Order: sequence, then C-alpha cells, then structure tokens
Amino acid sequence: MWLPFMGLVIGIILGLLTEIRIPEEYSNYLSIAVLAALDTLFGGIRAYLQNIYDEKVFVSGFFFNIILAASLAFLGVHLGVDLYLAAVFAFGVRLFQNIAVIRRILLTKWSTNKEKVEKN
Amino acid sequence: MDKPKINISFTLIAAVVGFMIAIQFQTVKKPVERDTRDVWQLREALLKEKELQSNLLNEIRSNEEKLSAYESKRKQSKEQTLRETLDELKMEAGLTEVTGPGITLMIEPIVEDIKLGYPVTKVVSPELLKRLVNELNMYEAKYVAIDGQRIINTTVIRDINRETKIDGHSIRSLPIEVNVGVDSINTAEKLSNRMKVSKSRDEFFTESLRLNVSEANPNVSIPAYDNPIRIKYMEPIKEGGGS
Repeated sequence: MWLPFMGLVIGIILGLLTEIRIPEEYSNYLSIAVLAALDTLFGGIRAYLQNIYDEKVFVSGFFFNIILAASLAFLGVHLGVDLYLAAVFAFGVRLFQNIAVIRRILLTKWSTNKEKVEKN
Repeated sequence: MDKPKINISFTLIAAVVGFMIAIQFQTVKKPVERDTRDVWQLREALLKEKELQSNLLNEIRSNEEKLSAYESKRKQSKEQTLRETLDELKMEAGLTEVTGPGITLMIEPIVEDIKLGYPVTKVVSPELLKRLVNELNMYEAKYVAIDGQRIINTTVIRDINRETKIDGHSIRSLPIEVNVGVDSINTAEKLSNRMKVSKSRDEFFTESLRLNVSEANPNVSIPAYDNPIRIKYMEPIKEGGGS
C-alpha cells in the first residue's frame, strides 16, 4: 500500500531535481494533465478500496484522461473559449467525489475495526 | 486480487504524476523576491547605477574621440600621401633642391693657352653643353645643374646673340661648375670614371676648354629650378585614354 506513495515522492523528487521547465504557454496543458492524472490516481485508489480495481481501466484511463484534457485545453485555446475549465470542473468534481468515497470507505473500515476491537 | 501487480503499475503512474506535479510546480513557481531594501539602500543602488552610467558615458565619449581621431588620421594620411606624391613629382620635375652623391665638373679655360698669348675663351658653346648633358644623362646622371642653373626636361641651351643661355641664364664667365647628382655613391664613382675618359673632355679641349672631373662626392647639392615651368601644351589625360 505504501509503494504508490513512495513512487509519488520519488517522482516529485525527480521532478524537482531535473529542473525541467515548461514554457509558459504550455503550463496550462500540464496543469490540466496533472489534474487528470490526480483524478485517475484517486479513482484508482477508490476502486482498489472498493475491490473493483482493474489495471487496464486504470492505466488506459490515466493516459486517455490526460490526452483528453490536454486536447480539450488545446481546442479551447484555438476556439477562444476556455474549454479547459470544463476539464477542470469535471476532474475537480470527480476528484472530490473520489476522495469523499475513499474517506467513507476508510471511515467504515476504521469503525468496523473499532467495533471488532470493542467486541473482542 | 493480484496485489504486487497493482502496486507496480500504480507506483509507476504515481511516480509519473509526481513528476508532472513537480514540473508544474517549478514552472508556475516564480521566484518572488521581495524588495526589502530601505531608502538608503535604494539610494546606494541608484548611486551605483549612476556611476555605471557615467562610466559607460565616459567610455562612449572616449570611443567617439578615438573614432574621430582615426577619422582625422585617415584624412591626414590621404593628404600626406598626396603631399608625398607631390613632393616626389616635384623632385622628379626638378623643383626641389637635391643633395646627394654625385660629382662636380669644372669647365675652365686652358691655362697653357693663356700663357701662349691666345685670347681667353669665354664662351662655352651650347652644342658642347648639350653634348655634355646628353653624355651625363647617358651615364645615369639624375640631377644636373650648370653654373647653378638646374637642367630639367624642358631646359633649352641655346645661343642668343653669341651668348650661351640656359633657360635665360647666360654663361658669361669661366670657370663654370657643373653639379651632377646620381642615385648612389657607386653610380657617382662610375660616372666620375666614365667622364674622365669621355669624348666630352676631348671636345671641350678642342674648344680650348678643360673639363675637370672630380671624384665621387657623397654630398653634392643641386639647386632647384627656379623659373616657373610652363605647361602650356600639357593636358590631363582623359579617362579612356583619349589623348
């Protein structure tokens, strides 16, 4: 369970160490991609906790969401409409939902564990 | 559920997400450096900048001065070249006094004749002088002056009313001195030797005159041509070689 967090930390450290800078005009795309990736990540965690985790869904969702979000942003830039806000909204909502679900699952787990402990 | 598999792909993707977050963070994060200097520090900084500015201005000024100096030098050098050319041409034309290696010839009456009671020859015929000048020129004489009168390309030696005149300067009394300038002392020696055995000597002798040839002298001064040179029939060459 801790390995993904390790991976996250390693990725952050690597990213900070490499000092790669993305041009200002592309930072929008990256931000939306980050949002999509986070959404997928939390979705994956939630699915894992709900025991409906499918690796294919997770990996394909990761890449597909990122690409979709980036292309939405791209389209928005070219249409003059801030379409990336749609992606932000969608991913934001999903992020909150996922986190809420995770929280509830963890809460129920914790309470059942407590009950078990109390029963014993 | 296949736990390790989940973890590997999950970890990889988590790493990628972390990487992306870090990059985004670095890109967005601008080094917001607050200016915390107080008035005096600001003044100091301003002073520094002003010093820099004045230094730069000084530099610009000095560079401009240099530039103008170079410019004027260039102009002067043009002038200099022209002057040099003019001097060279003047020298060639015989308008300058020349001092250099050469020989001195003395034309004097033959003393022995005087003793014998012959009338003293006072006149050197222009033909003789012409032949002498021709011979000198033949032996690479560069500058010739007869009796202080510079011989140039347009010099005429002629008889006017039984007076030998070189460009209007009459030769009345003997002895007269002929100064000959050459390029180098070696040439002067050669010239001296040649003149000592030249035909001119015999020709002068037949006219009761003696031509004394001096040894090569490193410092013979030949005066400048003092009359204006008439260039009545001279025209500048037109471009394309018209005349």
